[in-house]
Amino acid sequence: MRRPFCAAIAAIGIAVPTVASADQYPMMDHYAPVDCMKDTDGHLWRIQCNPATHVCLYAADDELDSAGIRRKPLERARDCDRTGVFDRTKLEAAGYQMLPARADAPYGWTRDERGRVFQINFDLKRRIYFGVGWTPQKLFDHLDNPFELKRSSLDFGLFVFDYLSDGPTPTRHRIRLMEGNVHIEPFSAEVTVAHYDVSRRFFDPLLRVTTFVGEPQRHDIHLDLGLWTEAGGLEIHPTPTGTSSIWKHATAMGTIDLWQSPKLDSFLRLRTGLGLEGQWTQETGYRTAFVPQSALEFDWVVDPNGFHNLRFEFDHEMPRYLLPIRNDQKLAQRLRAKLQYEAIVLAINDQPLTLKLAAGGEKRDDIMGVPDRWAFVVDAGLRFSLWAPPRPRS
Amino acid sequence: MGTTQTTLVIALLAAAAPAHADSCTGERGGKFAACFDPGNRLSITAGTAGVGGAIELRHVIHFDDEPDLVWKLDHTLLAVNHGAWADRLSFTLYRAHYMRHSRDGHIVIPLGEPKKVFMHSDIGAYVESGTIEWRDQPTTRLGVVRVAGLVDFARKKDFSARVAFGPLARWDVDLMQDTHSVRAHFVAPFTAGMANLHLESDDGRTLGDVRFEAGAIWRSDAGWGPEIRGEASVERIVLAINDRPISLLLGARYESETHEAIGQVGARIVLLQRRDPRVSLE
Repeated sequence: MRRPFCAAIAAIGIAVPTVASADQYPMMDHYAPVDCMKDTDGHLWRIQCNPATHVCLYAADDELDSAGIRRKPLERARDCDRTGVFDRTKLEAAGYQMLPARADAPYGWTRDERGRVFQINFDLKRRIYFGVGWTPQKLFDHLDNPFELKRSSLDFGLFVFDYLSDGPTPTRHRIRLMEGNVHIEPFSAEVTVAHYDVSRRFFDPLLRVTTFVGEPQRHDIHLDLGLWTEAGGLEIHPTPTGTSSIWKHATAMGTIDLWQSPKLDSFLRLRTGLGLEGQWTQETGYRTAFVPQSALEFDWVVDPNGFHNLRFEFDHEMPRYLLPIRNDQKLAQRLRAKLQYEAIVLAINDQPLTLKLAAGGEKRDDIMGVPDRWAFVVDAGLRFSLWAPPRPRS
Repeated sequence: MGTTQTTLVIALLAAAAPAHADSCTGERGGKFAACFDPGNRLSITAGTAGVGGAIELRHVIHFDDEPDLVWKLDHTLLAVNHGAWADRLSFTLYRAHYMRHSRDGHIVIPLGEPKKVFMHSDIGAYVESGTIEWRDQPTTRLGVVRVAGLVDFARKKDFSARVAFGPLARWDVDLMQDTHSVRAHFVAPFTAGMANLHLESDDGRTLGDVRFEAGAIWRSDAGWGPEIRGEASVERIVLAINDRPISLLLGARYESETHEAIGQVGARIVLLQRRDPRVSLE
């Protein structure tokens, strides 16, 4: 790995430290000035000097091939701030130490020793994704065969887009289009055509409480309220006699963020609201329901580079049917909990491939023939994401 | 027409087409457009397979700091075709290719210090959602989603060629027309593959597309089974009225599920089209 780098810097007449590995070459700061100077052979070098440390980093202004020959212009390097002829003697006389380095790359990107740039920071909240997984359902109900390989699944999100409107009252808009998953053997599916929610951190507190016991004190109570909506959802569940289709026409909820990260990309929130849906089965036909519902959501981007993502959701829904679904029962209950971890394992052409691990449970009495008890699910799968640009720089 | 023959025809027509930008404005009898943008248009098509239309849009996204990186996006919206001789209707709400062209293909392994493994291909995806295939039969086929991850070996910076392969996932539903109940679900959780060859001549007057899908599909009423689907089309602009092109269309399609092979000869009339930027009628 070091050979091309050594060959490239031979022209500038500086030896590479023998103990240095290619990965240990420091990287220039993309946001500090870079000078571009020509050496005696006419090759252009990028040089970044730090007057505080008296260290000058230098790197070829081109990508190198495996033999260290300059082949292509650098990608994503900042424009040169100054150009001229490299005067190494003058710099060394001024006490500067010359160190070989990697050329600069913008936030979210890095460069190998040959100057080739690649992305190392990914925003999984802006992407198109599709994946495949293995999902043995009701693991604890089928201990005789807990690893049913036939139960595979696919999931997809055709447009996942978060947009942060920064400022005194930062607001994050989250849009999801055609997001869902499909399991086979037995078949079940969930898909949502359109989702929009918004979180906001209010500049002014909702309530100012002043206490006059002892020294008067002010206590601000912030309520970071938001909105959560979905339209065009469909759930299909297997039943002993066929399938039950739940058409979730529209849902609207108010949200309270209990915790927010500075950029609002991680949060803990409560939401509650009302939905309109209908359940269709072959036996009962279509039954309309209004669904009061609440949920606790936790979404956490664990590391600054977006490699580890954790999500937990607990939902409670109480569909109230206009016509009885069985006997005289009009009110049903649904409880759902899901914990998901998604981690980037590699990137292909700067498009991340992620590992998804999830575990969840569900208890419901709104589907005929499905026992009213907890059923547990685990998921393991891979997702391929397109786009996923670097996360906004803090 | 077989896939190989179709490919050959496309290649020959594309090679025969003029490729110089300065020939994009014809001047015999007055100025006229000789190059066309087949990716941005509203067109209607009439032929032996029926009458229909579609909106096609495409664009590229460039990046100032990485000039060799290009996202090539082509979208087809509201594509509809009604069979003239057979009572059938096909509709596609949205279909697209999202292709990312970069100077170097590579895999980054982010363990410890990120490592980079180089390869020679672009990547992208094929996305289709909201299709309806209605026939004078008991069932109607709804296509909920069809996605494929693609590796493109053509590595073109523009839309002139795509030689792409990749795993395919899909979810289709057969609905009974009388009761509107679900008859069967069809799911391929990336157990099928897709190959796509797309070629366009530089002047946009000739284009062709070959798509082939094969793999194992799971049916909720019958379990796993093999399925093959292929389609090919060649389009050649033969005249233009007020610089709105009219093209001849040849197409063929085969599905192993229905053992149906359909050929098509027709004409495509472009009602609205973005003028090719190389054309100068001033």
